[in-house]
Amino acid sequence: MQTRNFKRAYVWQLPVRLFHWMNALAITVLIITGFIIADPPVIMDHHEANDAYWFGIVRFTHFVAAYAFLIMILMRFYWAFVGNKYARWAAYWPFSNKAIKNIMHVMKVDVLLLNDKNKELRDISVGHNTVAALAYIAFFVLFLVMIFTGFGLYASMSASWFPQLFTWVVPMLGGDFTARMVHHFAMWPIILIAIIHIYLVFYHEWLEGRGEVSSMFSGYKFVRTERVISSDKEEKE
Amino acid sequence: MSETKEKRQETYYESIIRQGYSRRDFMKFATFMAAYMGLETSAVGQIAKALETTPRLPVIWEHFQECTCCSESFIRSDHPIVADILLDKISLDYTLTLMAASGKQAEAAKHATIEKGGYILCVEGSVPLGDDGNYCVIAGRTSLEILKESAAGAAAIIAWGSCASNGCVQAAAPNPTQATPIHKIIKDKPIIRVPGCPPIGEVMAGVIMHYVAFGKLPELDRLGRPKAFYGKRVHDSCYRRPYYDAGLFAETFDDAHAKEGYCLYKVGCRGPMTYNSCGTIKWNNGVSYPIQSGHGCIGCSEENFWDNGPFYERLPNMTGFGIESNADDIGKIAATVVGAGIAAHAIGANIMKRKELNKRINRGIENEENIKA
Amino acid sequence: MSERIVVDPITRIEGHLRIEAEVKDGVIVDAYSSSTMVRGIEEIVKGRDPRDVWAFVQRTCGVCTTVHALTSVRAVEDALDIVIPPNAELVRNIMEGALYMHDHVVHFYHLHALDWVDVVNCLKADPAETSRVAQSISKWPKSSPGYFSDVQKRIKKFVDSGQLGIFANGYWGHPQMKLPAEINLLAVAHYLEALEWQKEIVKVHTIFGGKNPHPNYLVGGMACAINIESQGGLNAERLAYVGQLLKQGRDFVNQVYIPDLLAIAGFYRDWGAIGKGFGNYMTYGDFPTNGYNDPSSFKIPGGIILNNDLSNIIPVDHRSTDEIQELVNNSWYDNYAEGKDAGRHPWDGETNINYSGPKPPYDHLNVDEKYSFIKTPRWKGKPMEVGPLARVLIGYASGIPEFKNVVDYALAKLEVPVDALFSTLGRTAARGLETIVIADWTVEFFDTLMNNIKNGDYRMANTEKFDPSTWPAEAKGVGYMEAPRGALAHWIVIKDGKTANYQQVVPSTWNASPRDPQGQRSAYESTLIGTPVADIEQPLEIIRTIHSFDPCIACAVH
Ligand code: HEM
Ligand code: HEM
Ligand code: NFV
Ligand code: SF4
Ligand code: SF4
Ligand code: F3S
Ligand SMILES: [Mg+2]
Repeated sequence: MQTRNFKRAYVWQLPVRLFHWMNALAITVLIITGFIIADPPVIMDHHEANDAYWFGIVRFTHFVAAYAFLIMILMRFYWAFVGNKYARWAAYWPFSNKAIKNIMHVMKVDVLLLNDKNKELRDISVGHNTVAALAYIAFFVLFLVMIFTGFGLYASMSASWFPQLFTWVVPMLGGDFTARMVHHFAMWPIILIAIIHIYLVFYHEWLEGRGEVSSMFSGYKFVRTERVISSDKEEKE
Repeated sequence: MSETKEKRQETYYESIIRQGYSRRDFMKFATFMAAYMGLETSAVGQIAKALETTPRLPVIWEHFQECTCCSESFIRSDHPIVADILLDKISLDYTLTLMAASGKQAEAAKHATIEKGGYILCVEGSVPLGDDGNYCVIAGRTSLEILKESAAGAAAIIAWGSCASNGCVQAAAPNPTQATPIHKIIKDKPIIRVPGCPPIGEVMAGVIMHYVAFGKLPELDRLGRPKAFYGKRVHDSCYRRPYYDAGLFAETFDDAHAKEGYCLYKVGCRGPMTYNSCGTIKWNNGVSYPIQSGHGCIGCSEENFWDNGPFYERLPNMTGFGIESNADDIGKIAATVVGAGIAAHAIGANIMKRKELNKRINRGIENEENIKA
Repeated sequence: MSERIVVDPITRIEGHLRIEAEVKDGVIVDAYSSSTMVRGIEEIVKGRDPRDVWAFVQRTCGVCTTVHALTSVRAVEDALDIVIPPNAELVRNIMEGALYMHDHVVHFYHLHALDWVDVVNCLKADPAETSRVAQSISKWPKSSPGYFSDVQKRIKKFVDSGQLGIFANGYWGHPQMKLPAEINLLAVAHYLEALEWQKEIVKVHTIFGGKNPHPNYLVGGMACAINIESQGGLNAERLAYVGQLLKQGRDFVNQVYIPDLLAIAGFYRDWGAIGKGFGNYMTYGDFPTNGYNDPSSFKIPGGIILNNDLSNIIPVDHRSTDEIQELVNNSWYDNYAEGKDAGRHPWDGETNINYSGPKPPYDHLNVDEKYSFIKTPRWKGKPMEVGPLARVLIGYASGIPEFKNVVDYALAKLEVPVDALFSTLGRTAARGLETIVIADWTVEFFDTLMNNIKNGDYRMANTEKFDPSTWPAEAKGVGYMEAPRGALAHWIVIKDGKTANYQQVVPSTWNASPRDPQGQRSAYESTLIGTPVADIEQPLEIIRTIHSFDPCIACAVH
């Protein structure tokens, strides 16, 4: 049997990885604290209010994670202008002919699980594939919804200047109630997409064996030698 | 009779002149007032005339689709008490609830004030736009027509209560009469929205007194509500707030926690989403407010609060998802579907990609064997 | 030739009421009562959580605020078989009693009095004489000559300002105004005092329900938990506050309202013969002392009097489909499938608004066709008058001592026969008389509540069936009560935890409705017939009789 040759390719630069994990952490914290805020469990009985503050701490944690989340998102936006080609806006643009072809292909082999008769080299994604890009676009839109509604709600609880930039959000949505419900409801697609995302990352790892999981730690993926053409040098650094 | 003339209250004009200002200053003041109230220059004459001749601020109070509890709340005001407002501060020239005259005499009293101009228009109730406005007709005319007529000469409009400022209960789904708040109909006048079902009596009196005492409209927020009364959430000044922060909640009504006075968040309190003065001014001269008496806030000063039910649940019901369900129910169902999809995909992948996988595995085994020890 | 006169808006009422009357030779020969505003609350509550419905229907009216909330929670509790704790019953009774005191006093002074009292004429009064009269009829402390003189000065200054405000264009100097200047001054002084007083008695609602208007209710009981050891519940301070408010309220009723009422009525005895109706009176009964399911424990008895026959009281059954029915033959709704003249029991009722009146602006309604948003309720096809007069008559005829005492007292004082009760004057007097009785009961309820708490009963709500998952798939209930304006009931049908149908049949619906297919008039229309009108430009007599019912038209239509 013929063995393939793979080359290491540096896809995820440090800021992308940093963003990714900080973000995953922040979102996890936000989801957990969010659920508690939405439906606090009874953990105490017959207590005096002045010697307990746990719910306040949960909310405080939510807000700290919210700021961390915001900073990471801003950093990632910045990196979309200056980062490598896998990090740039272009990597998310789903409307080119190439992108559409890629979508069709991914739908066929990864979603419908059909097998290609003739494998084409160009179908192998080095960064993320276009269907993944669509999911990330959805992610980012949802992140913005969370940030705008979250800081909009937070504005009335905070005296600092930053949240005050969002005071227009709540009236636009017709009040705190709706804003809160949008904030709450939008959490669910984030959870769902994250589950699918994690599964698919492992799926690709398992099927393709190109170091998908470790890539988000090391930055490197393994790409078939033939796929690495002329710009070998550029790819490496 | 001459003695009574002397005792007559001073008008704004007279008091300004007495303080040494000229008629020119007075006209300037009237112009300023007009500009401040967002009126056109043609209204300056009217205002000047009103200030010259009327010692008490003329008020027309319209009643449309309402339950009249805004009027009721107004007469509950403790400071100032409403008798003082009516006798000393304003001239309430038209209100269906209290005025002596009925029928033609009532309408005539209103028209006399409209002709003089310079009045404040208070509106209680919403205006139905459905069926050409036939759902609210007074003296043979639709409320829509009446509102436009009274608004035209008004210096400013106060939209009392949730009805006039948001549409309130009659605008709740399916809004059979197309009940509509005032600001969606009148666009060319300053409108103060004083939401609440009803608003607190002292807040209503406060809004009027602001105008009478300072001669200008109170500062309004983005939604046109006076900041002085709607700047904070009920939750921000709720005396049960320490329990909220401590995570001490009533689980249901009259349970041990409710009796302790714990926070009502879990029985549906809308205090964290509601802007009103209930926690600070409280109700009926500071006696209590809904939360203090054990019931959660239902958000009665917020737009659409009727459609944000059930009042005793934290999350609203989502319509359009078949059976009654809230965001979390739907989310959990979706998560289950996703989980099942993933399982199916994983199994499918194992079957469909068997060949490819085997190839890779074999290749890997072969490579492993070829590795020199 | 008769002449059609229109009074629209009728003021000093709640809501939008229009009266068209045919006057011939100075007497009303026919009358039409119409409401020209509708909101559709019965449609709006459909599909809602039955536990929320009280709040929606409470907004039917802010004047009799609470009554629709109470009726609604009763209907839901009835449907779901929820029995509320005795303390909750007592708190509801106390709130209702406080409402009665408030509503009736405000009606008397602020809505009705200006029909009988000439405000401007009080300037001619001798304050010393007013003071003498006041002291002769009541021990109310504020009755010195100086006090009345100050009020008079204040009114004078007000009148001289030329801005009469709410008193502008009133019927001052009308030939039907018969009070001496001194009584006018007394009434004006108490108009202002009552305005200040009324904001106090409602604090009872604020303490138990958090606010007034529109205090909070709860399916299963009340939300105001009792905890005498905590800041968070009803404790000694809160309860003492209620006790004081009730006693002050009762004092005002007994020392101001009732003496004024009788003093003024003495000058209008002729109105004891005007405003007679068709003679059918109905009450549902209220103020349970042993739970809603035991009507025999109600302080106010339920029943029907037909044709002024006080010797026979007929029971009412809210659940029987052929007793209480509503018709829409003259109302701006879609006819029922069974046809224009059919009635429906409220459990099967429907409310499909369909305006078919003249296009505004209009001068007259087309009374040959549908002419009102008010539906027409009937009991076994008969019109019923509901309200204080019905309650007092049925209480009197049932031999309830409290009612007998006040009625006998008033009749003796006014030196009029029992017949005089069937009138405009009788209706206005009955309202006062029942307030005396109810104020006493309210203090009693409060004492019982205090006793229960003292004995360690702290329950205020039964939440066993609060969760919709505990409910049957289908249930029907009826909640009824005596609202200040009369017999009130709501019928609910619950399906799968949702409100499937909801119908309110309201006191003012009974009284203010248009005529039925047999041409029988309801109370407003029927009592106006025969009323003299001195000056058709100034319809004072019409509003007197109409005001004697204390109209609430937002209630009537909803
Ligand atoms: C992935 C991101 C986020 C998730 C999943 C999330 C989730 C949640 C959830 C479930 C709630 C409870 C809503 C309810 O049912 O009432 C909540 C509340 C809230 N969140 Fe977030 N959130 C996120 C981001 C943010 C951000 C960026 C902010 C900005 C400050 C924020 C601020 C808030 C605030 C102010 C509340 C209301 C807390 C309170 O009233 O005590 N959230 N969040
Ligand atoms: C809450 C959990 C997670 C979230 C919200 C999340 C989110 C994201 C996002 C937004 C990207 C796009 C990054 C970019 O801008 O290029 C991404 C990419 C990626 N994530 Fe995650 N991630 C989560 C968990 C994980 C986990 C647990 C792994 C791996 C074990 C992982 C592996 C990856 C990889 C490999 C990529 C690049 C994939 C590609 O483009 O083909 N993620 N993730
Ligand atoms: N009619 C009527 Fe009501 C009363 N009382 C309610 O049921 O007034 Ni607003
Ligand atoms: S806002 Fe509420 S309280 Fe005021 S009139 Fe409307 S329904 Fe009544
Ligand atoms: S009772 Fe309501 S307003 Fe008060 S702290 Fe709790 S959630 Fe906030
Ligand atoms: S229900 Fe309304 S009265 Fe205040 S506490 Fe909430 S805003
Ligand atoms: Mg009805």
